Amino acid sequence: MAWFLDGKKDRAHRLGPMQTLPGPMRKFTPTETVDYCIVGVGSAGGVLLQRLARAGFNVVGLEAGPFWDTERDWVSDEKGSHELYWNDLRITGGTHPLALGSNNSGKGVGGGSVHWAAFTPRLHPSDFRIYSEDGVGADWPMYYQDLKPYYELLEREIPVAGPAWFPWGDPHGHPYGPHPLGGVGDVLVKGCTKLGIRTVAGGPVGILSASHGDRPHCIYRGFCLQGCKVGAKASTLITHVPDAITHGAEIRSLSMATRISLRKDGRVDGVLYIDRDGKECFQRARAVIVAGYAIETPRLLLNSACPGFERGLANSSGTVGKYLMAQAGNVVAGRFDGLIRLYKAPPAHALSEEFYETDKSRDFARGFAIQTVGPLPIAFAKQMVAAMGAWGWGLRRVMMDYNHWATLGVLGEILPWKDNSVELAEEKDQYGLRVAKVTFNLHDNDKKLIEFAKNKVMDVMRAAGAEQVVQESRFAHLVGAARMGSNPATSVVDKFGRAHDIPNLFVCDGSILPTQGSANPGLTIQALAARTADYLIKHGEEIFTTSNRDQSEPGIRYDLSPPYTWFKGNPHIG
Amino acid sequence: MSRKQSFPVDPATGKPIRGLEQPGYYPGYSTLGQRKRWDETTRGVVVKRAYSTGEVRFFSAEEAALLEAVVERLVPQDDREEERTIPILPVIDERLFKNELNGFRYEDMPPDSEAYHLGLKAIEEMSQKRFKMQFTALPILSQELLLKSPHDGKPDPDNPAWKRMPVHRFWALMMDDCVTAYYSHPWAWDEIGFGGPAYPRAYMRLENGLPEPWEKDESRYEWKAPSDSVSEIDMKNAPPEHSSLHGHGGTH
Repeated sequence: MAWFLDGKKDRAHRLGPMQTLPGPMRKFTPTETVDYCIVGVGSAGGVLLQRLARAGFNVVGLEAGPFWDTERDWVSDEKGSHELYWNDLRITGGTHPLALGSNNSGKGVGGGSVHWAAFTPRLHPSDFRIYSEDGVGADWPMYYQDLKPYYELLEREIPVAGPAWFPWGDPHGHPYGPHPLGGVGDVLVKGCTKLGIRTVAGGPVGILSASHGDRPHCIYRGFCLQGCKVGAKASTLITHVPDAITHGAEIRSLSMATRISLRKDGRVDGVLYIDRDGKECFQRARAVIVAGYAIETPRLLLNSACPGFERGLANSSGTVGKYLMAQAGNVVAGRFDGLIRLYKAPPAHALSEEFYETDKSRDFARGFAIQTVGPLPIAFAKQMVAAMGAWGWGLRRVMMDYNHWATLGVLGEILPWKDNSVELAEEKDQYGLRVAKVTFNLHDNDKKLIEFAKNKVMDVMRAAGAEQVVQESRFAHLVGAARMGSNPATSVVDKFGRAHDIPNLFVCDGSILPTQGSANPGLTIQALAARTADYLIKHGEEIFTTSNRDQSEPGIRYDLSPPYTWFKGNPHIG
Repeated sequence: MSRKQSFPVDPATGKPIRGLEQPGYYPGYSTLGQRKRWDETTRGVVVKRAYSTGEVRFFSAEEAALLEAVVERLVPQDDREEERTIPILPVIDERLFKNELNGFRYEDMPPDSEAYHLGLKAIEEMSQKRFKMQFTALPILSQELLLKSPHDGKPDPDNPAWKRMPVHRFWALMMDDCVTAYYSHPWAWDEIGFGGPAYPRAYMRLENGLPEPWEKDESRYEWKAPSDSVSEIDMKNAPPEHSSLHGHGGTH
């Protein structure tokens, strides 16, 4: 039976053309103390809610944005998709200021997974040890092997389409078959092959190449970043949230968390928020999980400063808001004599990780990936403005050749630096909360890496036969700013996302990543969320009542996955 | 005042290219003609955009006239039929009137609304100082020469506004708004051969740039920019590339 949000009885709340929101959704009474209050229902929050609800906990998710009805709210249109992003004011600065908003910040149930391109590579084993191996960045307080079973499980839950054999990092296959190639993927494969660079095509990407329960497969319309109306591209809105609601989770949309409340005994007891009517409310909880991503998470902790935590909640280390990372995301565009029509097929559909690892023959540590990108007309026009200084008749002319261009993206590892940060600006937002001030500076290793990567991808484009090659410098993704570590003096949370300072406060989202590799972060964020959920479930009441800090792996639970996960496998044919 | 125009030229005949219902290399292609195949919400949004005229509520009458003249050089449409001109100024005005933000502001920039007031005032002052005339009264070549200086990052003459905000960021802000207005319009999609909305109908032919049954093959024509224009792409003298000048949405 479909449930009708907002009391509207005329039609069901749609999550894609076939799926409807199950219901009715549970509603906790205002005075009820829940087990977990989760701030932010995005990539991590959606998975956490689903797992914890299935395990029988009383759980509420607060989401600042709307609860999307994909048929009513989403459009196959670039400009019309503006509301998917976190558009509220933030200040951005530093030597290389990050573009925010539509570039990397979602708002609404599903969070960034609504507008991600859905590339789902794993981190490499080396990513967890870059300080030990290269003397740069930081080691993770865990190993690849700890996360591997969660990567495999989430690849089945999403499920990921891609080649049966992915040769880099820890080689692996993907549950669903690869997608057919579009024009841009052809260019990537052709150019790389000419230069002897290995490629994979048709994934790995969180987009269905065959139908999956009540989700149809991809129709190749190219509007992945505008919210997938087809329901083929995975977002937690359609993969995990429906199951969370079936199992008794409550999601309060249009509810902006303003402050986490700390008791005198040093434990948190709930979250203050402004509800959809502008009323200040308090949700009591036995534990709180912050899952607001790399800007809103540190902002909430900093805005929750209180006696005992004057510099920000859980910030005795002073590292809340520090070590923010974005990846180098230079776009290389090449004009071809023949037509490409880059708007067809998912933007994310072919890549190479040949240059991912540190190569001692280069003058920088770590590396980058080469990936397809598929800017639609507005995004492409902006790239031409930036890359070529296009305006006037020159702009009209280059845009008339839109279908002759292919675009490839660098995805390069930028190291964690303490001066790349999220702080509070003096200005306030519509809720009276101080807005985030984001500072981003490139350092020597980053600059060398970007220069090398950019030139390599331009070589690939030329090798593919492009007659004109231009590039635009930019950044993609956001992680860090509340990093995990084993040392409470230099990190915010432990390896399960538990605040070093406060035993019943957790952070679980991209902000806990100590380093980022050259992999798109979405899959890693969801895998970490599933692992944290297993940890919380295993320790049950202890989390709420003790300060015990067991650092052993919880053991993976295979019985908490959403429907349709069973009977899928992770092929391994290499 | 009457709209200033100068037309691109057919190099073979030397004749001006003007009054086109649909510029670009895909004659007869119409995305709006496919609207019945789009989902209801998308159809509503795109059709409304296509036929909305919009009013000016944020800018003063003087500012609006000036910005209109500037926008006609940033995204010239002189080859288009008058009634097939894509509205740009009303789209910028609406965003600023509603204070629709894009999620961030550079620390060295004022709010967008203030940036436009400042920037337009500066352009008018530059015009007065350099040509002793209002910008709107300048011949097209002078307008373009004046605008090319902030485009190149070398405002000529300099103006106090560029101490309060970096000129390249103001340029990027205007271009961002202009290309968003122009290339969100279905007539512009027809011009560049973009497929437009494709849900619930799918694309079938992903490789080799082949058209769908309802799309058209490319049919190119040669054209030269008007002789009094300096806005053709000039890679050799392109302004320095400043990273992160725009929203970067829609890539990865």
